[in-house]
Amino acid sequence: MKKIQIFLFCIVVCIFASAARADDIKIGLMCPLTGKWASEGADMKNIVSLLVDETNAKGGIDGRKVELVIEDDAGEPRSAALAAQKLASAGVVAVIGTYGSAVTEAAQNILDEAGIVQIGTGSTSVRLTEKGLPLFFRTSPRDDAQGQAAADLIEAGQYKKVALLHDNSSYSKGLAEETGKNLDKKNIQVVFFDALTPGERDYTATLTKLKTVDPDLVFYTGYYPETGMLLRQKKEMGWAVPMMGGDAANHQDLVKIAGPGAAAGYFFISPPLPQDMDSPEAKGFLEAFKGKFGQPPVSIWAVMAGDAYKALESALAAGADNPEKIASWLKKQTATPSLSGPLGFNEKGDRIGDFYRVYTVDDQGRFSLNK
Amino acid sequence: MEQFFQQLFNGLAVGGIYALVALGYTMVYGVLKLINFAHGDLFTIGSYLGLTMLVSWNLSGLLPPFLGMLVVFVMVSLFVALIGWALERAAYRPLRNASRLSAVVSALGASIFFENAIMLVYGARVYVYPDFLRPDFVLNIFGVAIPAMRIIVITVTVALMFGLWGFIQRTKMGAAIRAVALDQGAARLMGINVDRVISLVFLIGPALGGAAGLLIGVYYGQIDFTMGWNYGLKAFTAAILGGIGNIPGAMLGGFLLGVTEAFAAAYIAVAWKDAVAFLALILILIIRPTGILGERTADKL
Repeated sequence: MKKIQIFLFCIVVCIFASAARADDIKIGLMCPLTGKWASEGADMKNIVSLLVDETNAKGGIDGRKVELVIEDDAGEPRSAALAAQKLASAGVVAVIGTYGSAVTEAAQNILDEAGIVQIGTGSTSVRLTEKGLPLFFRTSPRDDAQGQAAADLIEAGQYKKVALLHDNSSYSKGLAEETGKNLDKKNIQVVFFDALTPGERDYTATLTKLKTVDPDLVFYTGYYPETGMLLRQKKEMGWAVPMMGGDAANHQDLVKIAGPGAAAGYFFISPPLPQDMDSPEAKGFLEAFKGKFGQPPVSIWAVMAGDAYKALESALAAGADNPEKIASWLKKQTATPSLSGPLGFNEKGDRIGDFYRVYTVDDQGRFSLNK
Repeated sequence: MEQFFQQLFNGLAVGGIYALVALGYTMVYGVLKLINFAHGDLFTIGSYLGLTMLVSWNLSGLLPPFLGMLVVFVMVSLFVALIGWALERAAYRPLRNASRLSAVVSALGASIFFENAIMLVYGARVYVYPDFLRPDFVLNIFGVAIPAMRIIVITVTVALMFGLWGFIQRTKMGAAIRAVALDQGAARLMGINVDRVISLVFLIGPALGGAAGLLIGVYYGQIDFTMGWNYGLKAFTAAILGGIGNIPGAMLGGFLLGVTEAFAAAYIAVAWKDAVAFLALILILIIRPTGILGERTADKL
């Protein structure tokens, strides 16, 4: 008899426990916690966890706590597919992430079939939103918008012979191609178009080759580690050609790698840096982030994971409680508050609004915003 | 023509590092017929240890610059040699008599272990060596820019390689290593302590790998925990190209690979550089299946 009582008691406890858990809103976060982009992933995790804690400290959304489920995608497509499946079976309503277009792409169909909203954060390749997936969004801009902005900047700088160099990743190649197309329209000559191998240490062979075509601007569309090496070795060669970059160069380590002397004068287009964001939300958030982690976020991409969470939070607070409702609510927004400024989405799920800035590295190695 | 010489020099500098790392692969292969996949990671450990000694222990500040570098160089080599020795004890010796495949899997496991261990200890962000260590003096010979640091890298590399070669060819210990490479059983019958010789090989190879890691750090500045894989792959290719198990072959293979890459980048396309280098590898292996200097596969060191 006693045993049956204990058994019944257990069942009741279980039911209540699971009922309490079911009341939580589960949101998934996919980010590269290991692998070559692990520093981005760590910030993504820190930022979103901080925001979730804030929400829960305020009592949650309509009295329901938010539970964050984090999966590591290691910055590579195979792990991303696995992470997406794990998140789908964990019962999340939406997934934030991830960094790298190819990595995001590997998760897209899995999450779409599971009927889960996905908000990409550092995924700028054009085709991600051209597939017509109804539940896919992104808080980062697209490469073609950036290609346009880059070409405009090159025209404004009155450069005539431009060398385009990419790293064969879908992001970097896409940006180089879009820029090339726009430069053709402006009748600016592209004298060089080629790809280097990322992850190497010595790019002098590439630079020597570039020098033979004598461009008046080198636009490398890849990431900051290679950009830093290029700048450093370019200076070592004694070659003074100006160099510009895209938003993947937007990382404080760039100057550390290149050395302040070699980085001075380098410029890139990018969404604003976290510390240059001027909305009240952003300021409050930066204070909290610095208080907890000692330094501001290293790049804008992790902040965009925060944007994605803010958008989801608003959608949930507005009563959108399932993925379809969240998606249709998000597509109606034009200026919902987020960390990097007012946020809205179009029918395809792309972020609307133009927010590119130009940054130049000054003599002290700081990124200074061109007004 | 100016471009030709500049690229030749670029290729030699890159190839020198490949050659130095390739020595570690080739020595271990020569003696144990084992590809030590963890060698690339020992190289990474060398560059991280070097940075720790230079920055956290401030060795470069305490001693005069040249002596400081020399001390760091020796200490990094010693530390990495010890790690290599421990690796052999823990991961390879228990499998000495198992099938060769088990040892290869163990090597891959060790590689993954080291890579993640470095990430957990140092974190995932890239580290940068302090700038002042590097002489930024650039020689200019007929329009070919040659940074002084590159000459130092090539000189150190070549000196280490010749030192090793002399050691293997001229000393008693070297003769013992060659004997073990030829036939472990016979060497044991001749009174050679095979275990000790293998331990020695696992001290020398990693020491050279660690030294290469330090050189990379000082010269290129940027180090990260995944870089061993890239260099390991290239160095392994270089070792095969020259004839694996053969020390002059590893040197030749390294320089050849570096120069082929540089010329492919210069005269074909930057993006095709690796493809051309590997195509060259395939062609050479078709003509000489044992590599350029390899005779019967890895019978000698």
